[in-house]
Parts: sequence; C-alpha cells; structure tokens
Amino acid sequence: MTRQSRKLRSPEASAFYIAGILLLGIVVAAFIVSLFWTPYAPDATDASSKLLAPCAEHPFGTDNFGRDVLSRVMAASKYTIFISAAGVAIALVLGTVSGIPAGYFGGFADRSIMLLGNSIMCFPGILLALVAVAVFGPSVANVIWALGLVFAPTFARVCRVGTMEIKELDYITHARVMGVKPARIMALHIFPNLVSQLLPATVIGLANMTLFESGMSYLGLGVQPPDASFGKMLSDAQAYIRTAPWLIVFPALMLVFYILGLYFISEGLRVSLSKGGK
Amino acid sequence: MQSKAGYLLGKFIELVLTLFVVSLLVFAAFSIIPGDAARVMLGPDATDAQVQLLRSQMGLDKPLVVRYFSWIAGVFTFNPGTSYAYNMGVGELIAQRLPVTLGMSAIAMIMVILISYPLAVLSSRKPGRLGDQVCSVIGHVLFAIPPYVASLLLILLAGSVFKLMTVGTYVSPRENFISYIGCLLLPSFAIALPKIAMSFKFLRSSIIEQNSKDYVRTSKSHGLSDLKILVRHVLPNSNVSSITIISIILSDILGGSLIVEQVFNLPGLGRLLLSAISRRDFPLLSGIVFYLALITVLLYFISDIASSLADPRIRLK
Amino acid sequence: MNRFITKTIAVATVAAIGLTVMTGCGKKTDANNYAVVGITQEPGIFDPHTVVAAGDEEIIFNIYEGLYKFDAQGKLNPCLATDVEISSDASVYTFTIREGVKFHDGSELDANDVVYSLKRAAGLLDNQDGTALVAELDPIESVSVTSDGRVEVKLEVSNCELLSYFTTGIIPEGYDNCQAAPVGTGPFKFESYNPGQSVILVKNENYWQKGLPYLDKVTFKVCADMDAGLTELSNGSIDIFPYLMKDRADQLDPAKFNVLSNGSNMVQIFALNNSVEPLNDVRVRQAMNYAISRKDIISVTMDGAGVELTTAMSPAMGSYYDTSLDGTFDQDIEKAKSLLAEAGYDNGFDITCTVPSSYLVHVNTAVELASELKAIGINMEIKQVDWATWLDEVYAGRHYDTTVICLTSTYAPFDVVGRYESNASGNFINYSNAQVDELLNKIPMVSDESERTELYHQVLALLTEDACSVYIQDPTTITAVSTRLEGYNVYPMYVQDMSTVKLVEN
Repeated sequence: MTRQSRKLRSPEASAFYIAGILLLGIVVAAFIVSLFWTPYAPDATDASSKLLAPCAEHPFGTDNFGRDVLSRVMAASKYTIFISAAGVAIALVLGTVSGIPAGYFGGFADRSIMLLGNSIMCFPGILLALVAVAVFGPSVANVIWALGLVFAPTFARVCRVGTMEIKELDYITHARVMGVKPARIMALHIFPNLVSQLLPATVIGLANMTLFESGMSYLGLGVQPPDASFGKMLSDAQAYIRTAPWLIVFPALMLVFYILGLYFISEGLRVSLSKGGK
Repeated sequence: MQSKAGYLLGKFIELVLTLFVVSLLVFAAFSIIPGDAARVMLGPDATDAQVQLLRSQMGLDKPLVVRYFSWIAGVFTFNPGTSYAYNMGVGELIAQRLPVTLGMSAIAMIMVILISYPLAVLSSRKPGRLGDQVCSVIGHVLFAIPPYVASLLLILLAGSVFKLMTVGTYVSPRENFISYIGCLLLPSFAIALPKIAMSFKFLRSSIIEQNSKDYVRTSKSHGLSDLKILVRHVLPNSNVSSITIISIILSDILGGSLIVEQVFNLPGLGRLLLSAISRRDFPLLSGIVFYLALITVLLYFISDIASSLADPRIRLK
Repeated sequence: MNRFITKTIAVATVAAIGLTVMTGCGKKTDANNYAVVGITQEPGIFDPHTVVAAGDEEIIFNIYEGLYKFDAQGKLNPCLATDVEISSDASVYTFTIREGVKFHDGSELDANDVVYSLKRAAGLLDNQDGTALVAELDPIESVSVTSDGRVEVKLEVSNCELLSYFTTGIIPEGYDNCQAAPVGTGPFKFESYNPGQSVILVKNENYWQKGLPYLDKVTFKVCADMDAGLTELSNGSIDIFPYLMKDRADQLDPAKFNVLSNGSNMVQIFALNNSVEPLNDVRVRQAMNYAISRKDIISVTMDGAGVELTTAMSPAMGSYYDTSLDGTFDQDIEKAKSLLAEAGYDNGFDITCTVPSSYLVHVNTAVELASELKAIGINMEIKQVDWATWLDEVYAGRHYDTTVICLTSTYAPFDVVGRYESNASGNFINYSNAQVDELLNKIPMVSDESERTELYHQVLALLTEDACSVYIQDPTTITAVSTRLEGYNVYPMYVQDMSTVKLVEN
C-alpha cells in the first residue's frame, strides 16, 4: 500500500471508534445508572398495570407482569455486559494457556490440544452450551463457564498461529539457546507479542458471546427469571409479538447497539493495528 | 515434504479422531445429566417398580461402558438405534426432519452467494465511494443482528405490515414444493442476513487486495475488460479463502437454524434435538449430534482438501 | 403403603419445549366428516394399563372403555358392565357384563376378557411378578367368573372408593400388543401413529352405543406449542384445540370458533417442602399463604381465567369440596408479617423455587410469587429446570425448597387427598399429620356416602389449617372448537371425548 492510502485510513479508524463508543456508551450508561437508580424496581410486578403501551409513566411500556420495561432494560444491560465480559475472560485464559504451548511445542501436544479444540468446534456451539447447562443446571455462573468453554478454541487458534510465527523469530531462538525455561519464554516473550492479535479477537468475542448468550436465553438456559438479559426479555416477549411489540423493540435495539458498538470498535482496532503492523 | 496421499491420510485420521472425541463428549455429557428417560416416559405417577421395568426393557440398566460401545458401533455403521420416546428408528426420524434443516440451510446459502457476491464486486470497484460505504455500514448493522432477533422482526413485519405469509405453517416438499420453499424463505433469510454481511465484507477486501496485485494491473494494461479480469483472475485467486469461508458459513448456518426453527415453529432437526434433550432420549440426541458433527467435520475436511488442491502451498506448511 | 397412589401431575398449558408440526397426510375421506384435534404433547403410550401421561389418556379414552366410565359432568356411569354389586363390607365387587359388545378386532366381549384385563392391570397374570400395572388396582386379590357369568373381584382389604378405578380399559383375552396395535371397545379404532405428527383414529362401525360416534375419522395432531396450534387453528388445519390461554383465545375469530371454558379440576400448588427449614414451621407456611394475592397471580398468569383455591381440592369436585374454606387466606400482609415474626423470622429468609421450565404458567407464577413474597422479606430465587430434571429431583427425589406445579385427578376424591398421607409416594411436599393419616385410612372403609363426604371435609380443613402448602388456583380450561363442529364436551379432567362430536348441519 502506498503511504498516501495509509494516511487515508486514520480518519476511517476514528470514525469507527466514535460510532462504536457512542453506541456502546448508550448501553454502558444504562448499566452504570442502573447500579444506582432505575425508574421502578425491575422485578416489581403490578397486576393492575400490565401490558401498558409506552406512556409518560412508563416510557418503554410495561410487560405481562406489569413490570416497567425501561427499568428492566437498564437492569438487563448489567447481565449482558457482565456475562459477556466474564465469558470472554474465561475463554481468553483457557485459549492462551492451551494455544501458546500448542504452538510453541508443536508435535503431539499441539495435535491433541487442537483435536480437542476441533471437537468442541464441531459441536454446534449452542448445543454444547445446552448440554453443559443441562448437566450443571442453569445459573449465570454456569452459563459463563459454558460460554467460556465454547469460545476457548477460537482464542486458542489465534494464540497457536501467532506463537508459531513468533517462536521462529531470532530473539526467541536466542533465548532458547541461552537455556531460558519454556514457561518463561511463553509468558514473558511470546504472550506480550500476541496482545495485538488478541485485542480485536477479544472485542469481537464480546460481541459474539452476547449473540450467543441471547440465543441461550431464548431457549431458557441463560439468566433465570425474574432477572433479565436482553435475550431473555426478547424470548419472553415473543408471545406478545402482535399485541405488545414494544416488548420486543426496546431490548432488541439495546442488544443491537451493544453488539454493533463492539464491532465498530474492533473494526477500528483492526484498521489501526494493520496500519501499524505493516 | 508430504505426498498428496500422505496429506489426505493425515487429514482423514484427524477426522476420525475428532469424531471419536465428539462421541466421547456426547456420551459423557449425557451420562451425567440428571433425569431418566424411563421416568419421563412414564410420568410422575409411575411407581419405582414400573420405572425399573421400563429401564431394563430400554437397556438402561446395563453398565456405561457396554452402552457406550454398543452405541458407538451403531452410529459408525449408520444404525444409531431406536428412539426411546418415539419408538422408531433414529435414522428414520432424522430423515423425516432433514428436509427442513437442509432446505433452510441451502436456501440461506444461495441467498448469501446471490446477494453478497454481486454486492462485493460492485462495492470493490470503487472502494471508498458512497455506495461502498453505505454497503459496508449496512453490512455491519446486519452482522450485529442475531438470527432470532431478525426472525422476530421479520415475523412482526411479515405478519402485521405485509400480511404476506402465514408464519408457523410447514408444508412438506412432497405435498407442494412451491409452498415448501415459500414457508422456508423467511427463516432462511433470517439466518442468511448476518452471513451475507460476513461474506460481503470478506469478499470485498479480498477482491480489493487482488486488484492491487501486479498481474491484475498488467492485465488491465493489456486491455482486458474488468469483467474478464474479475472472472478469470481475481475471483479464482480469492477462491482459496472463499472455500474456507463458505464452509465456516455453512456450519454456522446449520447451527443457526436450530434456533430459528424454534422461532418459526418448523419441524426441523433443532426441534427434534430439543425434544430429545428434554425427554432424555439418548439414542435420538446422540444420533442427531453425531451426524451434525459429522457434517461439520466433513465440511472442514472437504474445504481443507479443496483449498489444498486450489493452492498447493497449503500442503507444504 | 402406597396402594392408593395418587394421580397425575399435568400440563397446565404449554409445553414450550416441544415437538413438531407437519400437515396431515392424505386425509381424503368422504365429505368433511372428520375432526382434527391439536395436542401439544407427543403421545407415547397406548397401552391402557401402563398409560400414565395425561396427554396419552386423552387420546385412548376414545379407544378403550372400562366397566365404568366418567361422563362430562364427572358422573360415574356403567359402561361395559351393566351393574355392580358391592358386598356390605366392600371387599367383593361383582360386575354384570354388558352383552353384544364387540372389540375392534371383531371378537365379542365376554367375562373372560374382563378377567384377563383386570388381572393384567392388577399384575395377577401368571407371567407377571405381582406388581400392579394400574397401581390403584393393587388391592385386588383375585378375579374370577362366577357360575352365572358375572365377574367377581375380591379385594385384600375392604375399600368403598374403588369403583372409580374400574374405568381402566378392557382388552381381548390374551392380547398383549396394545402399544403397537391398540384394540378396545371404544367408539374409535386406532389406525396409525406417526411420531412427531399425529395419531389417527377411525370410526368403530360396531360401537355398542347405537348412533355413536358421528365422525368417520379423528386426527390428534401434534403441535409444537400453543402458538403453533393457534396458527394452525386459524389456517383451518386444526378444528379443536384445548388448553388455550385466555389472551390467545380472545384473538380468535368468533365466527369461526366457539370458545368453551370450564374449570379444569386441577389444583395449581405452590408446593412447600414441609421437611425443609424454615418451611417446617406452620406459622411460616401460613405467613406465605397470607402474603400472596391469588387474584393478581391469576390475572398475570391466566389473564384472569382461574378460580382461587385455598385448599387441596378444586370446587369442580362438587360436594366433596368444602366451600366453608373459601377466603381463609385472603391477602393480609400485616398478619403475614406478624406470623413470620412469631416464628422468629422478622427479617425474612432466602429460599429457592425450582420450576419446570417447559410450563410457562408455572414459571410465570413463580415470578409473580417471588415479587409478592418480597413484601414480607422472603427472598425467593427461581431455578428453572427441564421436565426430566424436575421429575427426578423435585418429584421423585424431593430435593427442593418450593416448586409450582399443577396436580390433577380424575373424579375420584381419594386421588386428590390420598397424596397427603405421610408415606404416600405422591406426597412430594413431605407433609405429615397423624390425624390426616388416620382419616385417610378410615375413608375407604366407610360405605356411607355422606359420612365419607364429611371425612373428606375434615381432611381438607386440616390441610388448610396446617397450611401444608400454598394453593393457588384451578386454572380454567379453554378450548376452541371450529364452528363447523358441534357436540364437543369439555371434561373437567384430561379427556377428549370425540364420540359426541358431529358436523353442524347446514
């Protein structure tokens, strides 16, 4: 690429950043405010005011229990953010501790780790999570573990390929010849170099995990009632799709804002990193 | 350097091993889930004696290892046993539902190719122009909509705005092929949307990359038309990775159809799978999971082989 | 002692995790003399003696008949028997068998068929190990044909409440293939079962009740869930759809469908495990009863289509039900709080509610309950499990704090209260009261009807006094029937009686 076209990319990256942060900001703001204040208690039912269309008292309307949808959307952002973050953290840890040694040592270790990873990836992911939750019971913690497990192979692949490239670099070979222990090489020399590849993968992982969690909630496996995540709210709302569409519209919007915000940021990262990387 | 046969053999062994691990995972998972097929069939009023009787009839009282090996022998010979709950062959049940899931996946795949290829070609012609940017932004938005949210929105639109299709009615292809395609269109579209975005984005960048290569410029200077260059040189060269991406998309589509079926009330494999889980119908569940995994593994296998044929360098790695 | 094992826990409405919808295949009988009934549970068992699931019983009600049979009013009428003579100590039942009845395979019904069927149901055949297939018939000691061709049933212990269990299906002597090819005497013959799709029954031309049935063919079509069934209703591919929610029924076109509603004779219970702290304290259980608003729960979960309950029996049971208990637990937050304080839980406590995720009504009820219990400081966490896990852990294993479920019964009042006997296998709430046990042991021995009724009232009063659990509602059964059909009766139990259904004549 010419120098000129590289320069042209910078505003592209910042456009992505701005759009991403704006969208993500809406969800994060809802989350932060919900920690201190929601218009109503998100779980408080009120049989006398059920299924109200959006109005002054309830800007987003109420659901079939008479619960305030705005309050619930705010509270749901908490679960959505928390589950995706914790799930990615687990996937990241599992992925790095299996992917880096696989790439570094190669051979049998590599083959067996990748075999396990491939087997997990060959399952339809949702099914794996389904079975995991069926085995360990539905709870937020188990959902997080299930998500972490399903997504770990993705991170492991990124680490493995990255490690295979880095380990051929001169300074790693030097270190090895000098007798530095493999664990130390992997932790101090290889891992830091993987960060630039793991960062976009992490952001995109957050988004994918949210998609996934909402799918699980849709099947009744995610957050347990009366708590809400966006996916749970959507699945509960399906029965009222014709009579109370506001139950679908607001959580769907928030969900899309969150995921889209993350995609934009990862896109921005990709653009600016590829610029610096070349 | 490996020989071609050696490469194929290695890949094949990998395939079999993967399937073996999958089978272990399925079996292990199912053995530790609480709940009992016999009790589900008989309901809460059954006495313990009745439950025991049915358990031994179903062979559930045999040791785990024996059950595993008799099952694994069954699936590998395509004779996965009889469903507890439906009292009929697992193969038969799967065959019954396959038209829905496969039909939906096929239609979705066709939509992905028909929409994303032309758009990517148009878009990459003048990257950075308004049209290209609009496409890219729309692509991002579509990518961010989970298939089942798209399904809900489509149901909302189709039902209340256009009053077009009756959602939730399935017509089998033998009965009326046109209606069969018709009832699968919306759900397929819901699955296809994010994949269209994915494939568009990928193709676009890959075409742009090829366009900047010297041989394309040379061809251009030789006066070849844009279309010819595209068809003869650019697309084939970006094909290596399109094979990979298409196989990834296909396996994603298969997975996505599981949930979308649920939203659209279609009698596909997903529904069968969920019912198998809730009834602890192990032969059925493991049959479905195993064959789904088999399809996925085969897709990856074929894409690996195809890419290695298209680009011999891959083998050398 | 689990002789009088109790009845079915049933589907309140939707089985959300479900099955399949496929359009029926090749139904081209003459004219339109058929009906399609939507069902939301996959049928499983067609053997009249091993059947337990309510969804299966609904279907085979049309295939098999017993010596006695319930009608839509819950009255027990003679069917394959014309008469019964019960000995004064209620230990011998002697049935006179109806003549001129033919099985679906063409053979004539006689006393030997009845003996075979009853023995099979009671586990008394030579190739059986003595375990009764129909647990309620376990007290049978012997079945034989008397010299005058009647059937004599001897019991191990006297029992005045057994007649309602002689509704169990009669099959031809020696026949053992009911699962694959059901043969009975009912108004419809079994034609085919396509898993995940449908069960097809055809008219029994030789039915002993002249003029019945009207329809040539009845299809029970499996729908994934209520919403799928609704779509098929409006498409016209289903004619009859039971167990609708009120809000969905309201969306139907009144020109095309008659919407029938009726008490379901089910008891939705917020079950409290009596052996778990702090629920072992009667004051805590009473407090929970006072803390909730049954009206609000019914409004939220059933759109108002339910009857409030304060005791273990539905008002549909007629005189056995005790109306004086109505209103015992009207919502009274202050009283609830003071009861909790008395029990030493001024600040409330934490508890878990394990609900079957496939039953939306129960999950929703739990959500509403959790919200209402907060008012007296009880913090209830909801745990959804799937049906298989629920059966295993909650119902069979009794490892739970609280749960929400519907209990159903046939019209036998003993089925309703029998489960509260300390050792009953259906006593999943671990309730134990010596007085109740004593009454329950006494009831089958009492031959006087009004005296028995009085004893039932005493049991119900004790259950309410002990607040053994929180009884919520008898959910209304709402059935949509196409206006092209008439004569459909809503039974207050799990039955789809198709024999009286006919086309509306234009």
